[in-house]
Amino acid sequence: MNKEVVLQVKNLKTHFTTSKGTAKAVDGVDFTLHKGETLGIVGESGCGKSITSLSLLRLIPTPPGKIVEGEILLNNKDIVKMKEEELRKVRGNQISMIFQEPMTSLNPIIPVGEQIAETIRLHQRLPRKPAWQKAVDLLEMVGLPSPEKRAKQEPFQLSGGMRQRVMIAMALACTPEVLIADEPTTALDVTIQAQILELMKDLQKQIGMSIIFITHDLGVVSEVCDQVAVMYAGQIVEHRNAKDLFKTPLHPYTQGLLSSLPNIHENQQELQTIEGSVPSPYDYPVGCRFADRCPHAREICRAEAPDLLETNNAETKVRCFMHTEKWEVIEEKEELVCP
Amino acid sequence: MLLFIAKRLVQIIPVIFGVTLVVFLIMQMVPGDPAAILAGEGASQETIEQYREDLGLNRPVAEQYMSYVSNVFQGDLGNSLKNKQPVLDEILLRLPITMELAFYSILITIVLGLAAGIISAVKPYSIRDVSVMVVALLGISLPSFWLGLLLMYLFSVKLQWLPVAGWDGPLNIILPALTLGVGGAAIVARMTRSSMLDVIGQDYIRTARAKGLKEHFVIYKHALRNALIPVITVVGLQFGSLLGGTVLVESVFAINGLGRMIVDAIRTRDLPMVQGGVLVASLVFVFVNLLVDVLYRAVNKRIDLN
Repeated sequence: MNKEVVLQVKNLKTHFTTSKGTAKAVDGVDFTLHKGETLGIVGESGCGKSITSLSLLRLIPTPPGKIVEGEILLNNKDIVKMKEEELRKVRGNQISMIFQEPMTSLNPIIPVGEQIAETIRLHQRLPRKPAWQKAVDLLEMVGLPSPEKRAKQEPFQLSGGMRQRVMIAMALACTPEVLIADEPTTALDVTIQAQILELMKDLQKQIGMSIIFITHDLGVVSEVCDQVAVMYAGQIVEHRNAKDLFKTPLHPYTQGLLSSLPNIHENQQELQTIEGSVPSPYDYPVGCRFADRCPHAREICRAEAPDLLETNNAETKVRCFMHTEKWEVIEEKEELVCP
Repeated sequence: MLLFIAKRLVQIIPVIFGVTLVVFLIMQMVPGDPAAILAGEGASQETIEQYREDLGLNRPVAEQYMSYVSNVFQGDLGNSLKNKQPVLDEILLRLPITMELAFYSILITIVLGLAAGIISAVKPYSIRDVSVMVVALLGISLPSFWLGLLLMYLFSVKLQWLPVAGWDGPLNIILPALTLGVGGAAIVARMTRSSMLDVIGQDYIRTARAKGLKEHFVIYKHALRNALIPVITVVGLQFGSLLGGTVLVESVFAINGLGRMIVDAIRTRDLPMVQGGVLVASLVFVFVNLLVDVLYRAVNKRIDLN
């Protein structure tokens, strides 16, 4: 496929220096986002997915956090190397963000319309009145009832779902090329979740933007994403087309994640879990970070760290020795040793 | 909002009762007989009795109090025991001086306090922050009368830049206003700093940055207004202790304001004068508190005044 590349992340490392040492929250993340594509980044809490998304706009609080290595190329310009001035023109304009907590992510004492309009005034240099009108139009577009009235209200007068719609309107105000949605539906009721997801899909079609969707909810991923990157312990372990990933997960961690989902069609007595726990970001093992929890782990998994490699299908990348030629060699050897 | 203000104004009535009662009782318990003081040293017992009779001080205490309060509600604060002039006239002469002093002092408290607090909070734990906070700690710790004497010594006696005392021109305002305002500024600075630090860590500040706003917009438009909410309360409270401070500072700088009037009146056991002065000072405090509540609501519409 020759789709246009919008965003390319290369070997991104965001580390936090604390009194306990260095936490490698994001430790070598690579991915490519194409125009109009929705990429889901999934993983359990603490795997680095939110830090990855905040790093993309350099919103990591420094200190203690810092992007120590890597490139974030937006249309071939490196965000990591940008000056403050340049960076501000990207934020909210070319790349914008929706956050997890609509309750706390809006300024509690500024009318929501103004919170949207200020972004428009800033990036599009519109005067007050037209900017306000555009804010009202945006609120209408995201399906907020009586937008004229709501625009003048403050966040405490709106429900959680309405606030998330406001956040979306704010993020879309300058028709960004990339929208980063960091768990946008986690704090919402299931019915409202569905509405918000539907809304995002519709708006994506209208505007033609690319979306990075950060979530731990695999159900949401299967519904909205084209591509999925599975993160574990600060790294991407599998990056694939969403349909294929759900059908035939390759990485043992992904397999574990999917099998731990309850299935409505089966009468299960107990939920499947992945044994063990995530290694500490202060002290990752030398080899594969999943080795201690992996049912297939061999000697090599503990001795060497696998790379995120393309399999025979160029669209599929996985970080596991099982899917390399090495593995077959090892298998033969082990068969010889223990018949 | 209007209903709220009306309610608060009605609440002034019990305040008047309370303040007058407390002052009245204290003045009754203080040693020293006003009649004897007025009659002067070496006056005969008869003369003293005569004074007591004239001033109505021989009546029962309860009766004296009731007649005083009923006069107060008619706008009559009585006459000074010393010079027989109406207390209200004297107060109206002195109040503007004290209010002017209080105004400049609270201005120093607010401007200096906010500026120092913001400077500290923007770069927490930096050398700048630590030095500002050390100065603030000093400001809180210094008693105002002592600070007044130090400032007077430095700027008036040594450097001779500013007048020592009195109240004749704008230059006279500087030292007493600084003396009164600095302690409050230190408290406001510490409050502003901690409140700003709290707000800057909030999600909506990250949202503001994610929108590409310039840092000073983020600080002044998004953070400061939220951080001001607890600061307003502190400023209101500070105004109360500032009014108390005028008593000392007016004495140190020989300013003929309300505070000094009350001190002089206490010395001569001039009961109506003390009561009138304290009552007016309390009313000023009540009004300032009302203003604080109204401001509070203006900044934060989530607060339901009723």
